[in-house]
Amino acid sequence: MSDPHLEVENLSMRFKVKTKILHGSADQGKFKTVLNSVSFAIKEGETFGIVGETGSGKTTLAKTLVGIYKPKNCTIKLQGKEINFKKREDVLSLRRSIGIVFQDPVGSLNPRLRVFDIIAEGLPDLQKMKKGEKETKIREAAKLVELPESKLESYPPEISGGEKQRVSLARTLAGGKKILVLDEPTSSLDVSIQAQILNLLIKLKRELSISYIFITHDLNVIKFMCDRVAVLYYGQLLEEGSTIELFERPRHPYTYDLIHANVTLSSTNLYTTDHESGEPSTEGCVYKNSCPKRFEPCERNPPVIVRNGVRVKCWLYETQENLNGVISEIKKELGDGS
Amino acid sequence: MEDNPLQNELISDLLEVQNLSVNFETIDRTVEVLRSVSIRIEKGDAVGIVGESGSGKSTLAQAIIGVLDIPPARIIDGVIRFNGENILQRKTKSPNFRGKGINMIFQEPLTSLNPVYSVHDQLEEAIRIDDPTVDAKKREEIIKRNLREVMIRDVEGVLSVYPHQLSGGMRQRVSIAMVLIQRPQLLILDEPTTGLDLIVQRKILKLILNLKEEISSSILLITHDLAIAASVCKRIYVMYAGRVVESGSMRVVLSSPSHPYTIMLKNSVPEGYMDEGPLNVTSGSPPDLRALPSGCAFHPRCPKAMAVCREKVPELKKVEDEREVACWLYE
Repeated sequence: MSDPHLEVENLSMRFKVKTKILHGSADQGKFKTVLNSVSFAIKEGETFGIVGETGSGKTTLAKTLVGIYKPKNCTIKLQGKEINFKKREDVLSLRRSIGIVFQDPVGSLNPRLRVFDIIAEGLPDLQKMKKGEKETKIREAAKLVELPESKLESYPPEISGGEKQRVSLARTLAGGKKILVLDEPTSSLDVSIQAQILNLLIKLKRELSISYIFITHDLNVIKFMCDRVAVLYYGQLLEEGSTIELFERPRHPYTYDLIHANVTLSSTNLYTTDHESGEPSTEGCVYKNSCPKRFEPCERNPPVIVRNGVRVKCWLYETQENLNGVISEIKKELGDGS
Repeated sequence: MEDNPLQNELISDLLEVQNLSVNFETIDRTVEVLRSVSIRIEKGDAVGIVGESGSGKSTLAQAIIGVLDIPPARIIDGVIRFNGENILQRKTKSPNFRGKGINMIFQEPLTSLNPVYSVHDQLEEAIRIDDPTVDAKKREEIIKRNLREVMIRDVEGVLSVYPHQLSGGMRQRVSIAMVLIQRPQLLILDEPTTGLDLIVQRKILKLILNLKEEISSSILLITHDLAIAASVCKRIYVMYAGRVVESGSMRVVLSSPSHPYTIMLKNSVPEGYMDEGPLNVTSGSPPDLRALPSGCAFHPRCPKAMAVCREKVPELKKVEDEREVACWLYE
């Protein structure tokens, strides 16, 4: 098998709490972990979905992948080559191969530039390029994303939300990027426009054999778009596997809860039994306060268990032998404590 | 509406909006936001209004509860009857149908809750306004009972905090608790779960349904999401560019949508895996209300558009029992 396109190992990010207005004075100056040893790999031409709720660290992950944040003590390999975040060239090479489309189409386009010039910004070596060559490339990119030629002369406020997202896409494609990070690219759009953009993304992937890292909270979109999916919960990857495996046989209790909470046209019954949910835990398993299947080992951080191509971070899938060991250890500790 | 045989019975409806037209007027232009919209809600009914941005669904809600900014908004035509009384003709500043009659929950509770009042003080204020004679001890009781009703477990803990310290789901629960104080006959929910996480969203929707039974109120749910409307509502109105294009019982509209727009709306939501093929939608976007297309506003995107669609606006026509469609295909 060829080298994975992009490989991320043990990615952790934490931020210092600066203000006390929002977090209370007790937390001021402390660190908040936003991503906790996240590892995954993306193959060429694959759509890798990352699903998570508010505060799961989705956007931080997206920003790290394009070099906006610089993580420490983690390995990010691009086509087998390791990226050193201290070296400027390395960060630039990361930015040259990975493009990003943000959720908010208004905030990500400069309102004072024409659409034509916005797409031009995505071109590599813009300065050296001849005028004619530049124009052909821009028109090609606009054609790829099905943006009418007439819109190239408009300014961002004059075009619709769907068209703005097309411009964002054209900007990354003009740069010949091979991996696209899509951070909630359709969440601010109307459903019919979302459908158009999703169809466009599928078409582009087939034509240009690019890879997507598709980040969203929308399970329907993830299910429709992705080859593989990872579930992110408060900075931790709890489960990762092929889309069908994940949706048909969710292993982690959180994945199960998430999929069953989704109201779709084919399942609109709200009268099913739900269990109580609590705050994410900082000790042991992060989901233990909400988990209906919580048992003794959950006080400890669960291992990542790989089975049938699915990676799941849960004690439920640990072998009985190892479980007994952990349980007796916990009991022993408790015994010592009392 | 003259030939409607139900005319005499309509008085038993809780809310009846008839031929409501609203314009937004500025110095240089007039925008038609709502055009002859008619909806009705019976007692105990749960009705959904589904549409994309610019369909006029929020304007309709604001007109019903009487918070439209007039000007720039201007009500051109129509009546809104609540319990048989035309509430548009009321001249008083603080209409008494609001509160116990109609109440509303907004999309973003951060903007509908006062940031400088603690949860306790907001709820207490709501009780005082509702009934100034209630004494302090009774008020505390009501506050706690209401917070428990919206499934807040740590009632004591929530009382002293400010809205920004709560999570999105908790904030929405507090705003529901506030509305519950007055036990409204009609509860309008404008995108109540947009921006909430899936698990929280499900809990809030379930809460809304349970409370509806408990205080026996009617619900008008405004959303862009067909699935959410389907989970709560019995009847649905689909709106496009300021007009109702289809209405009927939720079950029937979902299983066999008639208007091409409803069909497209249903097809837009991905349900299966990718190998089931691309989503069946046409190009184009919801129209700019400042420059509406002639005839049926949907015709530029409609896969079944005919010559007549470009010329004349189709009227809502009854196609079956309880089911109306505004489309030339059904003439």
